[in-house]
Amino acid sequence: MKRLRPAGNVAELPSVVFGSRSLMWWATLGFMVIEGWTLALLVTAYLYLRQNFEAWPPLRTPYPSLLIPTINLVIMLLSFFPAFMAAKRAKQLDTAGVKRWLVVLSLFALAILVIRWWELWAINTRWDTNAYGSAAWTIVGFHTSLLALDVADTLGLTLLFFVREMPARSFSDTSDNSFYWYFTVGIWIPVYLIVYVGPRIF
Amino acid sequence: MHSAFDPASPQAHLIASLWWWMLGVGGTIWIIVIATMFYVSFTKHRHREPDDPQHVSEATHRRMERAVIAAGLVTVLVLTVFLGFDYSVGHALAQHPQRALTINVTGHQWWWEAEYEDPDPSKRITTANEIHVPVGQPVQFKLRAADVIHSFWVPNLNGKRDLIPGYVSSQWFRADTAGVYRGQCAEFCGLQHAKMALYIVAEPPAKFAAWMAAAAQSPPPPADSARLYGQRVFLSSGCAVCHTIGGTQAQAFVGPPLTHLKSRATIAAGTLTNTRANLMGWITNPQAIKPGVRMPAYPLTPLQLEALVDYLETLK
Amino acid sequence: MQNHHEPVVPAGTALSDEDVAREAAALEEVWHGRSGFWGWLTSVDHKSIGKRYIVTAFAMFLAGGILAAMMRTQLMRPENTLLGPDRYNQIFTTHGTTMMFLFAVPIMTAMGTYFVPLMVGARSIAFPRANAFGYWTYFVGVVFLYVSLIANTGPDTGWFAYVPLSGPQYAPGHRVDVWAQVVTFTEIAALVAAVNIIVTTFKMRSPGMSLNRLPLFVWAQLVVSFMIVFAMPAVATGSTLMLAEDRAVNTHWFNPAEGGDALLWQHVFWFFGHPEVYIIFLPALGFITPIVETFARRKVFGYTALVMSNITTAFFAFGLWVHHMFATPIPELGQSLFTAASMLIAIPTGIQIFCWLATLWAGRPEFRVPLLFVLGFIFTFVNGGITGVMLASVAFDKQAHDTFFVVAHLHYVLIGGGVMPLFGAFYFWFPKITGRMLDETLGKVNFWLFLIGVNVAFFPMHVLGLEGMPRRVYTYLSSTGWGPLNLVSTIGAYVIALSVVVFLVNVIKSWIGGEAAGHNPWNSSGLEWATSSPPPPYNFVHVPVTTSRHPLWDTDVHLPVMTGLRSDRREVLITTTFDARPDHRHEDPEPSIWPLYLALCMGLTFIGSIFSPYLVLVGLGASLPGLLAWAWQSLNSHRGPDRVAAPDVLAETT
Repeated sequence: MKRLRPAGNVAELPSVVFGSRSLMWWATLGFMVIEGWTLALLVTAYLYLRQNFEAWPPLRTPYPSLLIPTINLVIMLLSFFPAFMAAKRAKQLDTAGVKRWLVVLSLFALAILVIRWWELWAINTRWDTNAYGSAAWTIVGFHTSLLALDVADTLGLTLLFFVREMPARSFSDTSDNSFYWYFTVGIWIPVYLIVYVGPRIF
Repeated sequence: MHSAFDPASPQAHLIASLWWWMLGVGGTIWIIVIATMFYVSFTKHRHREPDDPQHVSEATHRRMERAVIAAGLVTVLVLTVFLGFDYSVGHALAQHPQRALTINVTGHQWWWEAEYEDPDPSKRITTANEIHVPVGQPVQFKLRAADVIHSFWVPNLNGKRDLIPGYVSSQWFRADTAGVYRGQCAEFCGLQHAKMALYIVAEPPAKFAAWMAAAAQSPPPPADSARLYGQRVFLSSGCAVCHTIGGTQAQAFVGPPLTHLKSRATIAAGTLTNTRANLMGWITNPQAIKPGVRMPAYPLTPLQLEALVDYLETLK
Repeated sequence: MQNHHEPVVPAGTALSDEDVAREAAALEEVWHGRSGFWGWLTSVDHKSIGKRYIVTAFAMFLAGGILAAMMRTQLMRPENTLLGPDRYNQIFTTHGTTMMFLFAVPIMTAMGTYFVPLMVGARSIAFPRANAFGYWTYFVGVVFLYVSLIANTGPDTGWFAYVPLSGPQYAPGHRVDVWAQVVTFTEIAALVAAVNIIVTTFKMRSPGMSLNRLPLFVWAQLVVSFMIVFAMPAVATGSTLMLAEDRAVNTHWFNPAEGGDALLWQHVFWFFGHPEVYIIFLPALGFITPIVETFARRKVFGYTALVMSNITTAFFAFGLWVHHMFATPIPELGQSLFTAASMLIAIPTGIQIFCWLATLWAGRPEFRVPLLFVLGFIFTFVNGGITGVMLASVAFDKQAHDTFFVVAHLHYVLIGGGVMPLFGAFYFWFPKITGRMLDETLGKVNFWLFLIGVNVAFFPMHVLGLEGMPRRVYTYLSSTGWGPLNLVSTIGAYVIALSVVVFLVNVIKSWIGGEAAGHNPWNSSGLEWATSSPPPPYNFVHVPVTTSRHPLWDTDVHLPVMTGLRSDRREVLITTTFDARPDHRHEDPEPSIWPLYLALCMGLTFIGSIFSPYLVLVGLGASLPGLLAWAWQSLNSHRGPDRVAAPDVLAETT
């Protein structure tokens, strides 16, 4: 084997980094791309099925209602703030600040998840009525699984911060958790527009 | 031969010529690539540089560059020609006849229903598995599926077309030579996909017209008591739940219509020749011949079976 | 043009043997896993996971091959009675599902999992526990499929399960549900591996290994990982979501009576299905460059062209899927676009072959077994590629679609383009994985039997297809005249089986007592050959520094390395994305049971979904403590102190 000759020393490099320097950020990004793409495929299938119907929603199928989905959308948009603040405090390595804002975010997240139940029924038709109902329920249902995962993630992180001493790396993880939260809410905006608002327009 | 190499229609001829052309060009390319592979691997030539992997002279490198670029350009050229030829054949095939005999074919698990369209309802014929067409005249097929996806394919006459539930697809050809052309379902459709054949019988127009006229008639009522008994066996044993015989109360389309059963050369979608012995064997135990087929075995006494088959043999 | 000597590394003294040995001992202490069966279950070493992945996937190749032998035996004579239609349908479906989902993709990702970290000079893969989780999830799929087949509930509607045949009405029972969930498990495993390979390649490279110095094996794996990210979600959408829903909760995705669409399934499936075959093929192309370079004793011609060809092929691959649907009633204008794309994709692959031929021409080829398999690849794959161009023609495809012509084509490209390079790769890298050489003579016997067997088995099928023999038929009438060629094909299949037996004998014999390999038996150029055979758990005593595309050929007796990573905890070096400058140090996880636990919970959730929603809730519920334990474990095993980088220092992110 070749003899090893030192060309540099990395001992002084940091061991905790934030944002796109960190591996966890990349894992989060990978997950977002995969799940976002899946949602895009589902929406494409929904639009493809449109051509099999003369009316949309189909005849005798009511429009989705807008009240509860819009309320939930507003709450989701508001939840950007605690997510942003938790990430900001995390970058300052401020444990107390992180704990505070993670609790607020957790409360928002739980509320959104609970209201999501009624949001599903706001489609106003069952998944087994016709292909329109199947597609609408699957899209919202799939997003709900992303939301539930995010809620579990956020709650878990919050719990850990309260229950034990957290190493510096957890601040980076908190910032990545907010990154995932932005995605979960952000990707909902086009879905809301297509599923709830769309049928009234096209 | 039931084969794409044996075209009997202008459509199949176009595809066959395209095939032979592609085979010629493609085969030549394969030979050239493999020959090159042997050449570069085995010839001793002065461009073999010494063993040092870094030492490739400028001249050698430029020769490699030119060779690879040339090969790349030739590839692009050949593919462009392929594409052009394909488009022209595709364009020629896409021409649809103005007026054609139209036959509605519906694919079932595991038989073919064929209904001949006609503005006069009394001239509409429904038959199964054996489709007669006139030689020299275009025939258009409208294809539907009753259950799962099937595919209508008679290689001597044209490429295949899928039958998809919820869609109506179409296919057409013009048989230029009289003959019997075999086809087979070409989309996996379940247990008896392997035994879902069909026959296109191309006949001179006069013979075809005669066939049509006969097919439009219901068979006469049974002439003697034995065959009358046979008809009663048919109607009372459950056969009528699935099969149609024109002129009787049996009017179901779960299974193939049997109105002119004896005019067909085969039974069970091309699986057996239409002989008395095969018919008896089929009725007694269809599951032994086509396991999974929808037709159950009927417990008939030998007397009943003989009478039934006697009756069925009158359905010409 | 070829010489990349950059005098960046200062001359200095090499480390003494004692220094290196001391460092190695400390690293061994920290990086070795637990012993025994528990150690094997909890391992997060990418090499250990990679090895078991390769072995399991190869076992699937054997299983799929046995199923193929059964089919060929049934078809050797008209009206044969060895297998009835029901058993035959399960067998051909399981053969296809095994080969495509349980062998071909997993073995390629397994090779990546084992070799990418070594080839980029990293101590481990980016996400070791997720890597283990991916393997165990795949393993659940393997067990589930074969237990179902043995219990007579194997899937029976083909590896692409067209609706309505696979829908609730025409496929009652749970056979298709088994298929849908096997797809779910393999798709999750592939996605996990893909993300792992992408992040390892982007963030954990040897300092100095800028992207234009990345080995072609790694380029292929990187490109394929991106393809997996965009293709797998389509099959998941189709089978895990749409088809499973139609079957379990009465949705109407594919029910035309309620506005659903049978063609929607085909679009969604083939949008995945076409890229899938390139996901199998491109990594195999990645094996070829290092083999050709090593045995031609020449740096490959056209590195940039090879990289661009990989990338172009990957993009094109997503634009071909409709060529599987030319017999359906979709608009003809659309079909023509797919014809053009399906033909033009031959160009980048052709260029790759031309570059390899040029390399051989300029070199002094040494015909060891790996190179023989590369020649076998060219011989076989080019045939399949040409029939592929033929099938791209809509008119011709209308005759050949769904016949044995396609069966011939697909086996020529998958075996020629996938399995031949794979065997070459096995002969080439077996010494690195096991420390022993495979027997050269047995290897040559293996090669010739395989080449002959494949051509005898599959060439006649081109003729059979055009003579009217459709796919997926359990028997045929003797009046069709298909008997003789079927018999020839079956004989070829048995020859293939014999060649695989020779291979197995070679592997077993060599693993036990083969010639010792040393660290670089072929005198090859990649970083994986800079460490011992097999590599130690920490891969490299010090992270190598790269100054060219061929590190071991372009350095003299010294290999430049980075020192300074801790040897009292599992520490890896993270580098910047494009230029691979050292960025930070990352703490790797210790061995863990939680990946296996979570894979079992996934299994319960998805298999349970076939039977009852309550099982789904139980499976998901059981996962939550597993996820918590996963997080808790790395918090507990953390060894400080940490040095935190200021978050708003953006300069060094790439």
